[in-house]
Amino acid sequence: MFTSIDDVVEALAKEKYISSEEIATTVYLALKMEKPVLVEGPAGVGKTELGKCIASALDIDLIRLQCYEGLDEAKALYEWEYAKQLLYTQILKDKLSAMLENEKTLSQAVARLTTQEDVFFSEHFLLARPILRAITGSAQSVLLIDEIDKSDSEFEAFLLEVLSDFQVTIPEIGTVTAAHKPFVILTSNNAREMSDALKRRCLHLYIDYPTRKLEERIVSLKVPECGQKLTHDIVKAVHKIRELQLKKEPSISETLDWAKALVVLGYDVMEHDIAVSTLNCLLKYEKDIELAKKHSKSIFIE
Amino acid sequence: MSASASPQILNRVYDFVDILRDANVSISTDEILSLCNALDHTTVDNRRIFKQTLQTTLIKDYTDIPAFEKCFEQFFLSRERDERIEEIQSEALGRRPNGEGLSAAENRLEHELGDSMDSYLDSISEKLLLQKDAQELLALFMEEMEQAGSSGGMGIALFKTRRSMFARDHSEDEVPATDEERELYGRLLEMMRGRSGKRRIGRSIKNHEQYLLNKYIYQLKPHEIKEMREVVKRFGQKLKNRISLRKKRVKHGGIDVKRTFRASLQFGGVPFKIFHKDRKIDRPQLVVLCDVSSSVNQYSRFMLLLTHTLQSLFSKVRTFAFIGNLVEITGLFMEMDPERAINSIFNDTDFTYGWGSNYGRSFDQFMEQHSDSLTKKTTILIIGDARNNNQDPGMNSFIKMKERSRNIYWLNPEKRHLWDWSDSIASLYMKYCTNMKEVNSILDLTEFIDRLFIK
Ligand SMILES: Nc1ncnc2c1ncn2[C@@H]1O[C@H](COP(=O)(O)OP(=O)(O)O)[C@@H](O)[C@H]1O
Ligand SMILES: [Mg+2]
Repeated sequence: MFTSIDDVVEALAKEKYISSEEIATTVYLALKMEKPVLVEGPAGVGKTELGKCIASALDIDLIRLQCYEGLDEAKALYEWEYAKQLLYTQILKDKLSAMLENEKTLSQAVARLTTQEDVFFSEHFLLARPILRAITGSAQSVLLIDEIDKSDSEFEAFLLEVLSDFQVTIPEIGTVTAAHKPFVILTSNNAREMSDALKRRCLHLYIDYPTRKLEERIVSLKVPECGQKLTHDIVKAVHKIRELQLKKEPSISETLDWAKALVVLGYDVMEHDIAVSTLNCLLKYEKDIELAKKHSKSIFIE
Repeated sequence: MSASASPQILNRVYDFVDILRDANVSISTDEILSLCNALDHTTVDNRRIFKQTLQTTLIKDYTDIPAFEKCFEQFFLSRERDERIEEIQSEALGRRPNGEGLSAAENRLEHELGDSMDSYLDSISEKLLLQKDAQELLALFMEEMEQAGSSGGMGIALFKTRRSMFARDHSEDEVPATDEERELYGRLLEMMRGRSGKRRIGRSIKNHEQYLLNKYIYQLKPHEIKEMREVVKRFGQKLKNRISLRKKRVKHGGIDVKRTFRASLQFGGVPFKIFHKDRKIDRPQLVVLCDVSSSVNQYSRFMLLLTHTLQSLFSKVRTFAFIGNLVEITGLFMEMDPERAINSIFNDTDFTYGWGSNYGRSFDQFMEQHSDSLTKKTTILIIGDARNNNQDPGMNSFIKMKERSRNIYWLNPEKRHLWDWSDSIASLYMKYCTNMKEVNSILDLTEFIDRLFIK
């Protein structure tokens, strides 16, 4: 457990995650208050990475649930292994026949069989999915529910139930309550607005593109071969480029790609022509590259 | 990090919550509780941490962040900011700002007076609140209280304060005010100043928003347009929440026989798993056609921004822009934020080809290339001034559009008396529209959308 906000900053830095004081405050509070965090912001600002690094900083398991359209309880919580159940009934056919031999009517046979159904609906045949695993774990874990905005609102309603008491009822087995409440992190790229009820339950963290200072630190940490001067130039240029009217702004991962490319090419300062010829590391659309080229003088030369 | 949430800090924080609410940010009791909880774990000495503690517990809608920042700045970082923050900090250390404590009776009295002031301030008009200073407001308050005939401790206090006020205004008065009376007056004035100031911050932010929403779009100044985008997004979001609440949710439809059967095949035909049909909610399909020529460009931009925000309320939204030619821009909206999508249209040269809007050609092109977007469930929304630059109006296509859709609404940013004037052919099209409506402000646009969902 983190002992202070500063401690969060340091522990995350050890995992190579540079966090602002704001990020650290929310993380610290969420852990202390045992509340989930909803992290929003544009793609590539380190939302998923934050979840992973918290788990490794606390040295606990990371259980990740990637959301998508159509994700349902069967894929998130648990599922009966129908095929296995079926297979077992096949294998045990003789046993079952023997057991039912003395029953005269169909309804008696069913009644007899029902007394045994526990066998088939037991943990042996239960396929635990991320949420159930997080609840039944023998120690606290980080449950990272990634890109929740891609799921449907029905799933969100289901999630809300789970988050309110961390217990799950499996009709055939009973109610399972978490012995160790997982630390829940939800991320969203704002493709869809989350319900008020869900937001009320969570602390909220909005991560925007980092300040220049912060981004420079991220680059030096992740691409240490990139010297101080080059790092400075790269980040400065990226920040100017983000101000253009682009189809897609470069995110932190693109900044890192660019830095790596320039290092591999053997540069230690940024020059106009090199920068222009490597813009495709940073920008994904042809139109955006053209636009950046149009403004290249003001971006790369003061 | 000791427990720092003393009652004094909490009072300050409640004040701040009131300000946010006045600025139209909705905050639930849950969130206030969670903030109180959080204050036990963080420190108020560090402004950034203190601010983030407020933000992370209270602000759940990121479009509210700019409003939050304004409120925070004005409440904690304004003229009195140092006092406020210091006050909170010294209270955290258990010091009282004004040395001496008050007796229990005085406390109760102050409380009572405070409540009356609050309800008085709630009752007065915004204009009064924003124009009068604390002294004037206090005088008005006292007048009101006198008329209401206050009695008991409160009556006496008010009487004494009035004497002190009176004495101040007429220096050669027969009965000089005592020190005690002057002090009482000072204290009441302080209370009024705090209360009215607090209300003013929230209201002025909200007023500004209301002002923007109501302002004629063509009159917006460039810096206001930028602010406006935020407001439209925020307002759209609220509208969306309202509409979704209104819609009845049907949890499941009946059993989906086909799917259930298909799934059962892998288990030897045993239907282990039952699938239900998706719930049916009446979500209209929307086709938006926007004239983006310079005369109505700004309206179209806001409309596109708005329909984008509201996208999830519709089962399908397809968006087209036109000047001389028509292009579909639905795809653009999926890959980038709407403001950029719109800007990128203008970089497209075949699109801007020609002079001025050509409604006729655009409708023809729509029917030729995109008529697949129309069904009997589709609502067509057209934004434009119907100034066709004396070209063929394309009536055949327009009539077909009407026949193949459920509704056609036309939002016309031009004043009604200018319709049909010069090259406008508004009435010609209006005959075939479910309705043609004059829109001036963002409020008009949102009201219109809101009504789409009432039927
Ligand atoms: N604060 C940070 N410190 C270190 N690396 C970061 C930080 N933010 C982003 N990154 C890098 O950027 C990449 C993209 O981050 P990711 O978590 O995938 O973004 P998101 O989930 O927000 O789309 C990660 O691989 C990580 O290396
Ligand atoms: Mg991610």
